[in-house]
Amino acid sequence: MRNLTHHLAQRRYAAALVAGTLALGSLTLGARAEAAPTSEGLECLTDAHNTFSLTARDGYVSTPDGNSIYMWGYGPSSGSFQLPGPVLCVTAGTHVRVILHNTLVEPTSIVFPGQSGVTADGKPAQPQLTDTGSMTSLTQSADATGGSVTYEFTAGSPGTYLYESGTDVAKQVQMGLYGALVVRPAGHPAQANDRSDSAFDPDHEYVFLLSEVDPDLHLGVERGDPVDVAHSTARYFMINGRSMPDTLAPNHASWLPNQPYGAMVHIKPYDAQTNPHPALIRYLNAGSVNYPFHPHGSDERVVTQDGSALAGSGGQDLSYLKYDLDVEPGQSLDALMDWRDVEQWDPATNPIPTQLPAIQDQLLVGPDTWFSESGYLGKKGSLPTNITANNECGEYYHVAHSHALQQATNYGATFGGMMTVFRIDPPAGCPTS
Amino acid sequence: MTEMNRRGPLSRRTLLTGAAGAAGAAVMVGARLTAPSGLGSATGLRPAAAGVHPQKTVHLAGTDGWVSMPQGAPADPPFFPDSLAPAGFDTYVFGFRDVTGLSATQVAAQRGHAQISAPMLSFDEEDDIFITLSNLGLLQRPDLFDGHTLHWHGFVNAIPLFDGVPELSLAVPVGRDFTYFYRPHDAGTYMYHCHFEDVEHVQMGMTGMVFIRPKQNKAPVNGDPVGTKYAYNDGDGSTRYDREFAFMLTELWSAAHYRDAHIQVNDWTDYAASFWLMNGRGYPDTLEPSGNPLVTAAGRLQYQPITSTVTCNAGDRVLLRFSNLGYQNHQMSVDNIDLTVVAKDASLLRGRDGTTNYLVTNGVDIGPGESRDVIFAAPTAGEYLLYDRNYSYLDNGGGPGYGGMMTKIVVHPAGTLGPQTAANA
Repeated sequence: MRNLTHHLAQRRYAAALVAGTLALGSLTLGARAEAAPTSEGLECLTDAHNTFSLTARDGYVSTPDGNSIYMWGYGPSSGSFQLPGPVLCVTAGTHVRVILHNTLVEPTSIVFPGQSGVTADGKPAQPQLTDTGSMTSLTQSADATGGSVTYEFTAGSPGTYLYESGTDVAKQVQMGLYGALVVRPAGHPAQANDRSDSAFDPDHEYVFLLSEVDPDLHLGVERGDPVDVAHSTARYFMINGRSMPDTLAPNHASWLPNQPYGAMVHIKPYDAQTNPHPALIRYLNAGSVNYPFHPHGSDERVVTQDGSALAGSGGQDLSYLKYDLDVEPGQSLDALMDWRDVEQWDPATNPIPTQLPAIQDQLLVGPDTWFSESGYLGKKGSLPTNITANNECGEYYHVAHSHALQQATNYGATFGGMMTVFRIDPPAGCPTS
Repeated sequence: MTEMNRRGPLSRRTLLTGAAGAAGAAVMVGARLTAPSGLGSATGLRPAAAGVHPQKTVHLAGTDGWVSMPQGAPADPPFFPDSLAPAGFDTYVFGFRDVTGLSATQVAAQRGHAQISAPMLSFDEEDDIFITLSNLGLLQRPDLFDGHTLHWHGFVNAIPLFDGVPELSLAVPVGRDFTYFYRPHDAGTYMYHCHFEDVEHVQMGMTGMVFIRPKQNKAPVNGDPVGTKYAYNDGDGSTRYDREFAFMLTELWSAAHYRDAHIQVNDWTDYAASFWLMNGRGYPDTLEPSGNPLVTAAGRLQYQPITSTVTCNAGDRVLLRFSNLGYQNHQMSVDNIDLTVVAKDASLLRGRDGTTNYLVTNGVDIGPGESRDVIFAAPTAGEYLLYDRNYSYLDNGGGPGYGGMMTKIVVHPAGTLGPQTAANA
């Protein structure tokens, strides 16, 4: 089944009605901070003293099929609920302080997998046990409804890391308590790691924080019912807290007030003189199953895994190219990507050796299309007037998605879920963007 | 599935008329324009000179059909066996057929006769490949007007027109055809599948393998004789092989196939595989020889024509190409034989500075959408099992005994078999 709006209108009508009610409710949950301007790519939260104040809150996120999901998330203490937590960007070797405030109805905490020497309120961060030896948390927590705790550590080797709840982890991480920590190499902010061959274009840096949602579990938590995390079934699959097609919207899109981060990669073709550096995508898996992520139209070179540069003991290059990055639970992979106009197709001098069928012999799916009606980069053909053209100036679009294809759906509806698009503009750019 | 009454944009009347007319008559083959010779591109980067790129043409058809899971698999009413299946078959599928060279009438006659796994395709680096895809429609579901596409999975620097994602380019409507063009520059193990409503069409069986042979085959290294075969342009002969066998790994969820045949809807997030297949067959069918879908000799396996039996001589170097277009990870294992992984996702395991990073193992993990190239040296004559180490995938439909993703490596005494004529032969 094809058409999102048609399909959902029929299949999830009841859910949408409920969702509408919930969404209205969520808007009353408190004053919203002034809207940030829209943007593309990685949006770092930085601080001159590397001190970050985060607050664990509850709130709602919306899914493309009209559902509204009760979530927990880390947001800046000066802001409001959001999913996922802000991307904390620091430099290797610097002292980092994260202050967690808890407004949730149960204790919560943050663990920093991949960092060492973490302290909580000045003491070594360590598992918390009851008098009888039962573990209550992987680390010191902030008390329910108003507690706080301060974590400190020295940022480790360059790379990408999760920060996530260390308390009732199967439930609280599923509920949305996760975010990304980016550690940059000292003195080389435009490298993924300490190696010069990990250089990237800092204007084209992206985090793909992958996760999933079982809406029944979230409803149970919202109602205060007991939940069974062992028998959870995910229905929504997300990049940066959004599902396709919401992943294509810019950062801080006004219609996704609690999901501030987009996931569309927007580049131009490689050019040795004018565009020599690749984009960098930082993959992170905050879920409990593998997410085999398949970018179309381009291999990606994995240069860092879990904050460790892929290099031999003698400095040998052990990076590798992949057309599918099977990101494991808790894992991070930093990958360089570009797209090269290898064939240099040109309608006058080097034509594509096939013909585009007449429009009635093409099947264009849906009421809109990203297709330019041309095979040539920077060229546009014409569409029937009843199809909306999303294509601006003949730019190329390639999809990128989980290849466990049930994860590339919104509650089973295809062309959704853990999916985004790589947009490749002509070398001169689009006049409108 | 795409139902007529759910379609918004294009005029239904136009489509219906066009589709009925074309399907009833025959399939048109699209015109091809040959690249002009002697004209460089505007930038002079890559002249499209004729002759440099040998032309290869393939004609594929997409349609539906019926296949057979291994005998003795327990019934799972109402899903398996499917009550609508013709005698000898039990499972509804979508699939591709290779109809290259067939007449228009013969092509049209393949409607309702899909095969799984899709035809294995192989080409040389720098070939100019024209693959025409004809959409023959769905015999069992005339109410649907699903398009089909070809997505060459892993093709680097693709342009959207030939990438087969209908939302970002176009799909082939029922009764029409479309010619895809590829000029691969990088050897390796790839795959292809339909990307129209991908979660459905891939699960229904529109998945196949495609591999690209390296230029090094034409200029052997290391003093190897003319005719030596390599998996990659390795420069040192480390990917030399005598025989190659390719395996498309998939799972099959009986309930979803049943619902597609019976005009019902799937929630794909309920995915729960029933059968685990190598080249479209579960063990022990994996051991049956390859067949031809145009002849009935193979009986219930007529439309699952690709064997997974590995046969070789002691001492042979054997290349195993694994691709996974299921939705689960698979850990392909062999006891008593060391496996050397030389490439992942059609990329030789070698750093940019030339550091070789091959991996010796007895278990190869392949995630959904990934491929692996694995070489082993055949030991002394005997039989060895190749199987998924996830033991819960070694059955057929939850039945007793062994099944699923398993096959044999049959090693003959040195000199028994002559040179291999084709992959999996």
